[in-house]
Amino acid sequence: MQRITGVSPVASFKLWPILLAGLIVGCAETPSVSNVMPPRDSTRIYVANEGSNTVSVIDGDTFKPVGEIESLNYATHDLALTRDGRKLFATNLASGAVSVIDTPTLQTVASIYTGKRSHVVAITNDGKHAWVANIADGTVSIVETVGYRVLGVIPVPQAMGITFSQDGQFAYVSSMNKTVSVVDVAAHQIIETIPVGTNPHFLVLAPNGYIWGTNTGQNDVFVIDPKENKVVGTLEVGQAPQQITFGYKGTTGPLAYISVGGLNKVVTTLADPKNLKIRDQIDVGEEPNGIWSNPVGSLVYVAHSKSNDLRVIDTATSQVLATVPLGRKPIRVVVSR
Amino acid sequence: MLFVDEKAEAQSQAAGTAQNAVGSLLIVRKDGIQETLRGKGAVSLYEFDVLKTEPGNQAEILLDGAVQVYLNEGTEVMVLSRWEKHRPLIRILRVKKGELLVKIAEGPKPLEVETPVASARVKQTEFDIKVQEDGETTLRVLEGVVEFGTAFGTCPIRTGTVSYGVRGKKCTKPKEEDYAAALDWAKELARK
Repeated sequence: MQRITGVSPVASFKLWPILLAGLIVGCAETPSVSNVMPPRDSTRIYVANEGSNTVSVIDGDTFKPVGEIESLNYATHDLALTRDGRKLFATNLASGAVSVIDTPTLQTVASIYTGKRSHVVAITNDGKHAWVANIADGTVSIVETVGYRVLGVIPVPQAMGITFSQDGQFAYVSSMNKTVSVVDVAAHQIIETIPVGTNPHFLVLAPNGYIWGTNTGQNDVFVIDPKENKVVGTLEVGQAPQQITFGYKGTTGPLAYISVGGLNKVVTTLADPKNLKIRDQIDVGEEPNGIWSNPVGSLVYVAHSKSNDLRVIDTATSQVLATVPLGRKPIRVVVSR
Repeated sequence: MLFVDEKAEAQSQAAGTAQNAVGSLLIVRKDGIQETLRGKGAVSLYEFDVLKTEPGNQAEILLDGAVQVYLNEGTEVMVLSRWEKHRPLIRILRVKKGELLVKIAEGPKPLEVETPVASARVKQTEFDIKVQEDGETTLRVLEGVVEFGTAFGTCPIRTGTVSYGVRGKKCTKPKEEDYAAALDWAKELARK
């Protein structure tokens, strides 16, 4: 696997024959490739490795490693990708900083100190700002996604996880104090605080608009209805639930796929909060943590913080299709849209 | 040099010197160790230092050999920087509360001052920034142009004008104001 720290002149030299060949082919009168096949975005998988301070990059179609990017900080924990997929923001718990990764070149291009124990990052729906939860400072930093200035902070006690509502008007911020705060994005003010459970962690927006979260300290997941800002469903899934993503199994779905660290399983349920019930328990590796589906919800990628690998689950069969080695203690997976 | 890892140089770098304190200036290092400057001196400052002045105390520091900063009483500010590949290191002062008067000498020394609700980006200018306990920020530009912004918009603020930043709103349009008297504290400090 390539470890990317810069572009070597030798590597550039080796590329010359390929570039020349491309030029020759380009000069010939050949039909455009876009006429031959329907356009299809390639998928890239990014995984934050907290123990090795890196981000693993994997091809989402071939499941082959593309590279490993140094975050230039310590304890790389969470990731957020801009909608165009060109910038990846990575929090670094120990450094209290966010690394900005340029995905075309696979290089870290900026380091921004946000606050102590910077834990989770989420990008606003308009793409202008990255919100960063700093647990030890009890703040959410507002960082420009272009200029990288920190434009302000919102006080949120023991801020842990962040996600935005479908319309982008509200941010949901989980706190270690057993709550989720609802922040008015237009005013940067907390407008409501919702009791949840012990150690709520990552939050995620479901395709049907509900906000899902895991209580890592009490074995269950919760579902918040953003219209009422209250918990409308909970489901006990097993020890140390970590993260959630959504996918489809044939005609069934959306289903929530929940990584349960203490069971070494991924547990599924219908994403309808009125119909929460464990449907499937998929055996995976040791301590599954980060989980994310491909854009169409047919594959689920699971990172394991103990066995240090990524497993690719086919949602149609619940079978593991591939296992890809990662860095040490992978925590978060994100996939290009 | 080739094939050398490019590290985030923003970490643990020398940032400047604390030069003078009326009363005392408390410097809290990254690891919690405290140092105090009383009167004139030359205490080295580093990345992540938090500088504090109590009521009745003031201080003067020099950053990167070109940025003169006067701290009024009741101020708390952290010294930071931002690393960006292929760009000069950007010095950052993160003000939690209190008041700074900043003078930047000629030269390409970008500086940003962050407050709980706003950010000011400057080059070759002189300005005063005051931060209330709730984060409300007042920016007065004595000379030059300051790119003042909140998460809701940016306002270029020019010589002789003032702008306000509050939570959840764009910075206010620049307004002319006679604020000479409000900055007497810094003139007094510079004379000492």
